[in-house]
Amino acid sequence: MKTETMEPKTDKSEMNPRVVSEAEWLVARKDLLTREKELTRLRDKVSRHRRELPWVKVEKEYVFDGPNGKETLADLFGGRSQLIVYHFMLGPGWEEGCKSCSYLADHFDGANWHLPHRDVTFVVISRAPLSEIEAYKKRMGWRFKWLSSHGSDFNFDNHVSFTKEDEKKNKAYYNYEIGEFINDEMPGLSVFYKDENGDVFHTYSTFARGLDILVGAYNFLDLVPKGRDEDHLDFTMDWVRRHDQY
Amino acid sequence: MNKEKIPKVASREEWLHARKELLEAEKELTRRSDELARRRQELPWVRIDKEYRFETDEGNASLKDLFRGRSQLLVYHFMFGPDYTAGCPSCSAIADGFNGFVIHLANHDVMLWAVSRARLAKLQAYKRRMGWTFPWASSFGSDFNADLNVWFTEQQQREGGFEYNYELEEPWEGAGEGATTFAAMSGTDPATYVRERPGMSALALEDGVVYHTYSTYARGLDALWGMYQWLDRAPKGRNETGVWWRRHDEYERRAER
Repeated sequence: MKTETMEPKTDKSEMNPRVVSEAEWLVARKDLLTREKELTRLRDKVSRHRRELPWVKVEKEYVFDGPNGKETLADLFGGRSQLIVYHFMLGPGWEEGCKSCSYLADHFDGANWHLPHRDVTFVVISRAPLSEIEAYKKRMGWRFKWLSSHGSDFNFDNHVSFTKEDEKKNKAYYNYEIGEFINDEMPGLSVFYKDENGDVFHTYSTFARGLDILVGAYNFLDLVPKGRDEDHLDFTMDWVRRHDQY
Repeated sequence: MNKEKIPKVASREEWLHARKELLEAEKELTRRSDELARRRQELPWVRIDKEYRFETDEGNASLKDLFRGRSQLLVYHFMFGPDYTAGCPSCSAIADGFNGFVIHLANHDVMLWAVSRARLAKLQAYKRRMGWTFPWASSFGSDFNADLNVWFTEQQQREGGFEYNYELEEPWEGAGEGATTFAAMSGTDPATYVRERPGMSALALEDGVVYHTYSTYARGLDALWGMYQWLDRAPKGRNETGVWWRRHDEYERRAER
């Protein structure tokens, strides 16, 4: 029987089991279950907190290029009152969409069968021109609606696209803080609400690890012995490929 | 939306203040979730000596065969009993999610399978109908589902005393509205329907030996049910009164408003 101390904790690629009887396992599992239930309750609490956020009225008019031609932000709701926008990193002239966003995007269509039936319209928006978006979408076989914010301030105002000026200064406001400039495009999620008068409000945005729980594959990896198994990599998601590149 | 629950409209500065407060709570939640994942990886393992047989698209298979060269196996216990005519609608919504990303898991040393007690031909027909591509095995005639606490006998159901989600259950007293609706949608009676249960199990293969490392049930599946994580970010949240979800080909077509 191996003990937990025999292998360094940093090498996650090696599984490090302690083999026990079912009765002994059950004791450890039930202890973990108590903590899991606490976490679920905490997650519910944070979700309540999120729903209590105030809203900010969107005064600016944004226009996007999409499969149905020009559409405003208010148009994108498509008859529903809630809009979730995924900010997909695909800048003008990029050869292909961001690899990590493509990994996330493999989760969108499955959820999006159901979201419209809870009054949610889901769309993806990128700064590349529509023709570049559509070519990549076709290659990846996705169904979700994907629009271009090319020439609009939308991405900049939502803090997911950055200017040459930001790059020169090596400073960028991302995930609610000023840090080093990383890329012209960054990932994020923004949520909007439209009331009966047609007024649009910004309710929520999340960035960086705020997107973590939306990556189902990670939630699944969190259940297996090796976990995400990324500690030895240069960066998280280093192992990820576009689904047609494995 | 409930009138008194409509949040106030604020200035950008006010919103930002509230958002940053929430961000701290979100970061704490993420850290707690990471911590729990670490604890999960430290769980001991139980050696599986029993021989389980499955029917798969490639023929008869052992539990070891399901790993397909990987060292880790995730089994989604999909509620689809031999007497069902279609798979459970909730499991189907969960499967809509993982169908998109099994390819990433398979390239990160994890094979994900759905396993159900219905005969393989039924599973194959339903999988075709739903347009899924993940591997799905039949455990018909095997003890696999019973041993992993996701299937119970009529007697156990009548008398109680079986364990689901690590708790002993009372004798069954009839199904609620949700289970009754979904039983009818699955072509079976409520009692038969709820003898199958949902769950997720993790197994490991090392030196030719299979180990059971983890199982989760009931709300333990909540974070694995993709659509809910999106709804949790919308102003109305999950916005649920009863079971609203359907199989993805069974929603009524909405008239364009």
